[in-house]
Amino acid sequence: MLEYILKRIGQTIFVLFIVSIFAFFLIRLAPGNPALLMVPDGSSDEVIRAMEEKLGLHDPLYVQYFRYISDILHGDLGQSTQYRVPVAKIVADRLPNTALLAVASVVVGLLISIPLGIVAGSHRGTGVDFFAMFVALLGQSFSPVWLSVFLMLVFANVLGLLPAMGMGSWKNLILPVATLAYPMAAQITRVARSGIIDTLSEDYITATYAKGISRFEVNWKYALKNALIPIVTLVGITIGSFLSGTVIVETVFGWSGIGQLMQQSVNVRDYAMVQSLILISASLIAIINMIVDIINSFIDPRMTLS
Amino acid sequence: MDKKIILNRMKHNPFFIIGATIIVLLLLICFLSPLYIQFDPTVSDLANKFQAPDLSAGLSSHILGTDNMGRDVFTRLVVGGRVSLTIAIIVVALQISIGVILGLFAGYFGGVIDIIVMRLCEIVLSIPQLILAIAIMAVMGPSLSNLVFAMVFGGWVHVCKVTRNNVLVLRKQEFVQASIVLGAKTPHIVLRQIFPNVLTQIFVVGSQRFGESILQEAALSFLQLGIQAPDPAWGNMISAGRTFMATYPWMVVAPGIALMLAVLSFNFLGDGLRDILDPKRKV
Repeated sequence: MLEYILKRIGQTIFVLFIVSIFAFFLIRLAPGNPALLMVPDGSSDEVIRAMEEKLGLHDPLYVQYFRYISDILHGDLGQSTQYRVPVAKIVADRLPNTALLAVASVVVGLLISIPLGIVAGSHRGTGVDFFAMFVALLGQSFSPVWLSVFLMLVFANVLGLLPAMGMGSWKNLILPVATLAYPMAAQITRVARSGIIDTLSEDYITATYAKGISRFEVNWKYALKNALIPIVTLVGITIGSFLSGTVIVETVFGWSGIGQLMQQSVNVRDYAMVQSLILISASLIAIINMIVDIINSFIDPRMTLS
Repeated sequence: MDKKIILNRMKHNPFFIIGATIIVLLLLICFLSPLYIQFDPTVSDLANKFQAPDLSAGLSSHILGTDNMGRDVFTRLVVGGRVSLTIAIIVVALQISIGVILGLFAGYFGGVIDIIVMRLCEIVLSIPQLILAIAIMAVMGPSLSNLVFAMVFGGWVHVCKVTRNNVLVLRKQEFVQASIVLGAKTPHIVLRQIFPNVLTQIFVVGSQRFGESILQEAALSFLQLGIQAPDPAWGNMISAGRTFMATYPWMVVAPGIALMLAVLSFNFLGDGLRDILDPKRKV
């Protein structure tokens, strides 16, 4: 078990190392002189040269890369050209907002999808099952682009029940969370359903029925536990599409998290920020997936064997 | 699997039938649009802006209304759809080509090749697809070929993983082992014995990639990093219509429904295919 965990941590560090190289060189490919973005307009060649020197642009690339990595490890993500303050400060300001959206969406998504998946799976082929699958397929087909605009149109513009944009009150949270939670819940419902169907056909479930345990208890206690692994894995996997979704959702609803920050930074070519956001989102995903694998190895120790 | 069984299952799978029918209709409507559209998709006509949908004179009236520049929404919808679907076709074809080739190599030869390819997949998967595409588009600048590159870059891994996992299982099966023992050449085994057997899985994952590509292109165009105004795409139509949707909702509803319908039908198709091609299902 310990060996598996250490191996998994090693893999994660390696992946993040490569991602950091990618992020570094991607931004190097960007057109334009980064020094020009840091000096006042109309500066003389000498001032620009001095800034290039200060940024270390004349050093060999590998020297620049190692300086970049060592800065990151010291918590310095560079200077935002858009805000002219350290990237780390802005990210730290914005991250809690995205975390709030993320936690709320995952909680809402799980609370809806797991019961729906269990009911659908244990009533396979009935009207309930068909309804749940239809709702799920519809959810997987709504893009964040259209769902966010659609919900805003219906609930803010037409019905006037909820605020269209901004943040502050709990009412502002509802539409962004609904946009992010629905597609995720749709996927989890389907996985939970097929997990329950697979589990219910196992012999030990038949045995629990034979012992006279109620159907409700069998579904929710015995079958759910075994259908949990694919669900936990899926939550780890969807975190990627989830972060992608926040870029759209935060842009549409004016939610100042890191998704909106990504979109703004790209528009004003704030490359230090873009670079850091790639690295931060990759780290989040890699670490969450590592934790998911480790949790799963505790639920089912056989997983450490492969 | 027997063709007859597959055809029979297709006929009895409502998801497959609905999905395939909508896709064929969408393709026909979008790709035949040059034959029937009555308006120019990009030239503005400010005298006629914000016209409500009007069905009175068929296609010569603005059946889905006009936008803030007085352009016919229906015309932009079908022309934009042609662009979006063309991009999706190119992107998925490239994703499948790259993913299948690398997946066959990694799964069949294993060892170092497998480790390298799998690490590569893990690295690409660790960056959210849309964020990766946004960063690439931002650095390389918006153009059609850059858009395709950005979308292929993050998407081939899904095809690759499915192919590789299937090859891994197939390689251990008796008929493949027998060929190896009989001295069959590697290209023959990979192309004639293994490849046909992963094809069904590639169909399933391919139709999912279609839906995913349409969504991603819409998101990029929505963020003004994909198809650029004045050229229409469903994503940038929704983005442009957002400002006016409280008073002129047709500007966002038309492209939104088109987008959903396209993705829904590819998801239906993928789901149907998975059922139809499931080898474990009883005949």
